Amino acid sequence: MEDIKKAILDFAENSKKTKFYFSDMEKAVRKVIPDAKARAVKKAATELINEEKLIFFSTGSTSMYGLKGRGQTEDH
Amino acid sequence: MAFEPREPQKELKYDELRIYTDEELNNYTEEELKDFKIKHDIPDVEELEKGPWPSFVADAKREALHRRKLAEDRMLIERDVVEDLLGQLQVSFDDGETHWKHGGIVGVFGYGGGVIGRYSDLQEKFPSIAHFHTLRVNQPASKFYSTDYLRCICDLWEYRGSGLMNMHGSTGDIIFLGTFTEQLEPIFYELGHVLQQDLGGSGSNLRTPSCCIGRARCEWACFDTQDMCYELTHYYQDELHRPAFPYKFKFKFDGCPNCCVASIARADMSFIGTWRDEIRIDQEAVQAYINGEIQPNAGAHAGKDWGKFDIEKEVINLCPTQCMWMEDGKLMIDNKECTRCMHCINVMPRALRPGVDTGVSILFGAKAPILEGAQMSLLTVPFMKVEHPYDNVKELIEKVWDWWMEEGKNRERLGELIQRWGVPKFLEVIGLPPMPQMVKEPRSNPYIFWKEEDVPGGWKRTIEDYRKRHVR
Repeated sequence: MEDIKKAILDFAENSKKTKFYFSDMEKAVRKVIPDAKARAVKKAATELINEEKLIFFSTGSTSMYGLKGRGQTEDH
Repeated sequence: MAFEPREPQKELKYDELRIYTDEELNNYTEEELKDFKIKHDIPDVEELEKGPWPSFVADAKREALHRRKLAEDRMLIERDVVEDLLGQLQVSFDDGETHWKHGGIVGVFGYGGGVIGRYSDLQEKFPSIAHFHTLRVNQPASKFYSTDYLRCICDLWEYRGSGLMNMHGSTGDIIFLGTFTEQLEPIFYELGHVLQQDLGGSGSNLRTPSCCIGRARCEWACFDTQDMCYELTHYYQDELHRPAFPYKFKFKFDGCPNCCVASIARADMSFIGTWRDEIRIDQEAVQAYINGEIQPNAGAHAGKDWGKFDIEKEVINLCPTQCMWMEDGKLMIDNKECTRCMHCINVMPRALRPGVDTGVSILFGAKAPILEGAQMSLLTVPFMKVEHPYDNVKELIEKVWDWWMEEGKNRERLGELIQRWGVPKFLEVIGLPPMPQMVKEPRSNPYIFWKEEDVPGGWKRTIEDYRKRHVR
């Protein structure tokens, strides 16, 4: 779990876009940990949300993830 | 089976939970409403009040007047939020474009859906709607409310939001329209801890499941839609609140093929009640219909004289598979040809009833987007028995989700993925053999391709061997 969380944070800090889809995050994790299951990646992402390191971002119709403090922030 | 809640539930009592007094709720007269003008000039918006239909503009004006007369400390967001909303709508009419900014980082802690962020881009002109976030509230199964429940949520929304709501959004949720960011967490707390309600789904989540009225009132329900909706809503809480799908995903539960929640047209996974034995026929009641003793369609079209009921014209000839006929004064049905269109049952409910060996048909891949690309769902599982706790259904759901999460592109619905990969691939994923029912024209459409392992001898048979037996 910890290594998945680390891979997610690495991706969130260095990705070209500041908000990203779950599947792009999942692909990035797979590059580091090839046998990571989607459910495990999701659970790790939820933990990071609860630790307030990641945030959810809504486009209105789709939801994305982002790193807290990077890119557009809470006060839009 | 009697309903058993997952956790103890208390009955909501409005008298204990109310925020406003009766005087505050009825604080204006119809006379005052007639003379009431909102603070902006809105000629085009007011056009919408004309004509025979009720108008949201008239309702919004009532709310605006009501808020104007409430005391300042009885509302936690600006009092003229409704007036600014109508004002901005007029500006949008003038400019021919919207002034809403959509999306962003709004939500409640731990949830990735349920709140849709919305901001005005004319904040200086309309400061009261600088934020105008929408909340989705998960509706009770089949939308059964008590008056106390409705009054409680209305009071909460008047106090912490605009007071405007939408009953209901297309997915079925109760929609709270318009509040400020700082009110979101308090509303979430009140809803969850005091009123025992939850937010619904939005974004790339499992959307709020919805069901028809089911066994609560309908004798045609072939399975307990409310129980299944409740069970799956609880079981898939994580999918409902924390987005990880490529896009939205909807479950809908229809108790019979009349499809009252239109699952076939808009759910990625539609559950439609059906039966696999025979339509039950009460021949005496058939005769009573023929003799005009019972009104057809349970009297639904009785307002006009349509002439004497003609079973030949109104039932038998309208059967899409022509599987009905009269024999010695008795109505006969060739049940294996029946496609469950429900027409005969709807016309003669006293005489015909669904069978007793009931379950669901499961269909996949419908979508009803606003602009283009609407698609009906595909019959995939013709019949499945469903009983609490629905383990067989959950197993199927998870196979589908795993495939879609793995292969689906961002913002690709399940129906689009099935189209992109083909039905045979989808059937392989869920482990079902192809069946004629899945194909629109089974005898002419080469929809299903054989695989080498399915064919005796594989692809390696020589043409010479074949020609020995089949001369050219």
